[in-house]
Amino acid sequence: MDREAEFRRLYEAHRAAVHAYFTGRTGDPHSAADLMQDVFLRVWQHLEKLTDMPEDRQRAWIFTVARNLSVDAHRRQHTRAGAEQAVAHEPARPPPPASTAVIAAERVAVVGEAIRCLPEPQRVTLTMAAAGGMTSAELAAALGVPAGTVRYRLSLARRAVAEALDRYDDPTEK
Amino acid sequence: MSLDDDIAAWAATVRLPDAEAAAIFQRIVGTPAAVPPVTPRLDPSWWRHFTADFTVRMVASTRPVRQAA
Repeated sequence: MDREAEFRRLYEAHRAAVHAYFTGRTGDPHSAADLMQDVFLRVWQHLEKLTDMPEDRQRAWIFTVARNLSVDAHRRQHTRAGAEQAVAHEPARPPPPASTAVIAAERVAVVGEAIRCLPEPQRVTLTMAAAGGMTSAELAAALGVPAGTVRYRLSLARRAVAEALDRYDDPTEK
Repeated sequence: MSLDDDIAAWAATVRLPDAEAAAIFQRIVGTPAAVPPVTPRLDPSWWRHFTADFTVRMVASTRPVRQAA
């Protein structure tokens, strides 16, 4: 077996999902990249064990490692996130009139802010679906929850984002 | 712009760039793979030698002593 080729296959198959998972957990893509590196370092060190597993168990193994690593990171972030959460619940202020490019950037910011304010399970699920490109079935396997729960979380999360965008589009609307 | 487009536009801002992913890959494969720890153990033939030696000594110790002529 070509060790590096096998590792590359696993890395390319799962890196986006793992990075999206940590982005959802930490809210910070840069911290997510560091945590993703830690996960794949363990994959590299235990590659022989992983190559003997079927694909679904490989995914489960990788996300078990990811969940374990995220616990410490989550604790470290807890204090800061608590302060930010208090600010995050303030309603978005209506923006001044702006150009198309600025409006597009603002809409992205509104979406990002709405996602940041979601309860963690919804935030992680939506981030993994949107940034990680995962299907409901893949999300269910990775997160260890039924596919119906994944779809429900996605539905709630999308509704919250849509409502935030509605408020942005029409600030007079309640 | 649809909701999916808005979410996709946001996702593009948080996704890991390919160049950074490639750099992480290179850093990882540059680290040595885990080597199983070497634990000291007895020579596999130790038990065979021990029991053979023990048996010889046991037999020798139970042999009747010949009277000196």
